[in-house]
Amino acid sequence: MQVDGLENTGRAQPILTARRAGLVACSVCGKVHAAGSDRCRRCHAPLHSRAPASLQRVWAWWLAGLVAYIPANIYPMLRTATFGHETKNTIVGGVIELMQHGSYFVAGVVFSASVMIPVGKFIAIAYLAISVRYVSALRVHTRQHLYEVVEFIGRWSMIDVFVVAILSALVQFKFVASVHPGVAAVSFALSVAFTMLSAQSFDSRLIWDADEEDQE
Amino acid sequence: MTDRPTPAEMEMSPRRRAPWRNLSPIWLVPLAALVIALAITWKSYSERGDLIQIAFENAAGVTAGETSLRYRDVTIGVVESVHFTSGLEKVLVSVRVDKDVAPYINDTAQFWVVRPEVSAEGVTGLTTVLSGVYIEGIWEPNDSPPETVFEGLAQRPLVDVREKGTRITLQAIEGTSLAAGSPVFYRGVKVGRTEAPRLDANGTSVIIDAFIEAPHDKLLTTATRFWDASGFNVSFGPAGLKLDVGSIAALVSGGVSFNTFFSGGGPMEPGQVYELYPDEDEARTNAFSRVSERAVNVSTIFDQGVSGLTAGAALNYKGLKIGEVGTLSAFVSEASGKPVVQQLVTLSIDPGLLGLPDGAGEKEVLDFLQSAVESGVRARLTKASLLTSSLVVELVEMPDAPPAELDRDAKPYPILPNVPSDLPDINATMEGVMKRVNNLKIEELIQQATTMMGSIQALATDASTRAAPKAVVGLIDDARALVNDDELRALPGELKATIAEFRTTVTALNEQRIADRLAEALDYASEAATTLTSASEGVPELVEDLKAVAVKARELKAEELVAAATDLLNSADALIGTDAARALPAALNGALDEVRTILGQLREGGAVDNANAALASAQSAAESLEKATADLPQLAQRLDSLIARSEQLIAAYGDRSDFNRETLGVLRELRDAARSVSTLMRQLERNPNSIFFGK
Repeated sequence: MQVDGLENTGRAQPILTARRAGLVACSVCGKVHAAGSDRCRRCHAPLHSRAPASLQRVWAWWLAGLVAYIPANIYPMLRTATFGHETKNTIVGGVIELMQHGSYFVAGVVFSASVMIPVGKFIAIAYLAISVRYVSALRVHTRQHLYEVVEFIGRWSMIDVFVVAILSALVQFKFVASVHPGVAAVSFALSVAFTMLSAQSFDSRLIWDADEEDQE
Repeated sequence: MTDRPTPAEMEMSPRRRAPWRNLSPIWLVPLAALVIALAITWKSYSERGDLIQIAFENAAGVTAGETSLRYRDVTIGVVESVHFTSGLEKVLVSVRVDKDVAPYINDTAQFWVVRPEVSAEGVTGLTTVLSGVYIEGIWEPNDSPPETVFEGLAQRPLVDVREKGTRITLQAIEGTSLAAGSPVFYRGVKVGRTEAPRLDANGTSVIIDAFIEAPHDKLLTTATRFWDASGFNVSFGPAGLKLDVGSIAALVSGGVSFNTFFSGGGPMEPGQVYELYPDEDEARTNAFSRVSERAVNVSTIFDQGVSGLTAGAALNYKGLKIGEVGTLSAFVSEASGKPVVQQLVTLSIDPGLLGLPDGAGEKEVLDFLQSAVESGVRARLTKASLLTSSLVVELVEMPDAPPAELDRDAKPYPILPNVPSDLPDINATMEGVMKRVNNLKIEELIQQATTMMGSIQALATDASTRAAPKAVVGLIDDARALVNDDELRALPGELKATIAEFRTTVTALNEQRIADRLAEALDYASEAATTLTSASEGVPELVEDLKAVAVKARELKAEELVAAATDLLNSADALIGTDAARALPAALNGALDEVRTILGQLREGGAVDNANAALASAQSAAESLEKATADLPQLAQRLDSLIARSEQLIAAYGDRSDFNRETLGVLRELRDAARSVSTLMRQLERNPNSIFFGK
């Protein structure tokens, strides 16, 4: 998709893009077709020069992720019962508790995986989606990097859900101690999935399109 | 730039579609998420329970978000927050109660914190050790409007509000033995419980609230008495040592019992306060002695000293308590010219104890007293008991008392006439009793008794007394030896054996159809027996000789007695020693032997000839018998008379010396022997066949 090298970037020189050249590449197998072709002749995937309604999908998934993220923080993530004494921990509550116990490292990991990364992702996606429409302060390359980081790191937010799943499976000692996933675990997992879909829906070529329009 | 305007390049863009047509269906996803989230939020909010607030003195263990509220052990809510009331006076616990339960929580609700508790009644709240405390609530669901603010109790209430029964208040001097939840017993059955004792407002007594469960609360009347049934009670009285132990629970945690000892109590009024007596006896006694508020006061004036009479002493009438002494006061009167100190004693008479109907008041009591006084009833001091010096007042009937009447108009109380008491001097009486005891001649009595005992002992230890049983035993031994004599017992055996053999032989003979010959032989035997009878006629002569001897002996002088007796004995000896007599048993035996051997041969041989020979032998044997026993009956008779005479003779000599005794013995033996022979003969005579047939 990115057709020119970094050394050629810049506002000075306009670059010949595929769209300008009247070409469209199959986003599945990569075969190049002439503009106007509906389907890839090789793999029969639909051909689009730019993903249709990309921004709409980004915003839709983003919003769904945000909706799911609210109960994930309000409701308890873990229900831990020890000797009939049940404690419910929300994500932030758990982090605070860990810090009170002095486990700063674990608290940091949980906080970054469960709070920082999801929140960062929301901000980053929203920023990217807005920046393709309006003038951006960040350079195009930086935004491209930001997009790559967001797409890469999104899946690591699932670490929290994994921890809950593993604990619930392992710690089942009836009365002595037992761990059950709370409502927040489900909504958190949904939230992560929605934001990942949101990031995937974002067509990074839009970043460069915006750049070209600026130049013209 | 140039002057010539150049037209701008026409922007070619596709026709803009309407914004709603541009919408991607992907928007349904966040829409659905939003709708679901909102729905859940709305649902949880709408289902959120009502908030009630309970103020506790102390909320140890109550945690926001964890501590549950339970009704009948079912969780109906969770503590939402724990705060303080203004001024930090109390802990305000806010509880979110389930929506469907909250409308029923009304002003009857009671809340308390359930904690583990170990008491004599048992262990409760054990589950809270691990799971933490919880708040328990009870209320009576009725039509009252729901409430949201409550006062929490410090501990489990004594009474479940749903429970029917009556609350009462007990008043005691001390509350050491009772605790919260101590049982209340009626005749040993638990019918209620107490709350923890508390002091009354000014600290002079202990107030114990108690609850009597329905339907037992019907047993309560104003006359009911309560007493402390805690622990055990040891008393020592005329009935000996008495130990009263209630239930084990009462032993540990204390307990209260009640009973209504007498009738007449009205129905219990609300707020009734009962006195708690230390034990049953006291409660029982006081049941009859307690003077109620309706008591009627009268007074009486005693001239004599009243030392020993105290306020509260009993007023008795015909042995029963009808009231008590109220106050004692002295005053000076100058009735007889010079000042005299008199004692004014106030008496409180209880109409109920007097037996007057319920509702009887002062008028009825005074009417009764007036008529009683007219018939001779007077007050009098008397001793409360034999050994104490305390006094009581009693109303006694003194028909011969000087006439007096009840002064109903006297102040402050009507005056009851009295008579001087004849208070016995207990000391004098006791001294008199002692003196009389002293005067008893106890020593003499004892001496006589000792002497008597000595005599009895001497008699008992006397050798002759002790020998008596021995002599008796010897006598019995002799008798036993006589009976056990071998010869005596052997005779029937021998006879039996012979007869048995005979019988078998006869059977054999019968079988060989020789009964006819046998009959012949029997005829012979019969003849022989007849001869035998005639032969024995000779015996009387012998006896006559003996008679002569006896006559002689009778004529003998005393000095010749011994010689005569010796002669007599010699004669007797000779008689017994005569061949005829001596050979008699031998001959008999021989005959029997012969019969036996013959029978044996008969049996062995089995021939008719032998049988014939045998019968011949039997015949001859019978003849021999005939000879031998010819004289036997006479002999026996003479022997008899001889013995009789000898006895007479010897009896004539009075004193029974050894010689006489021996003589007599010999003669008796002789007589017996002769009688035996005679019997045998008579037997043979009557039934000769028996020798053969054994019957």
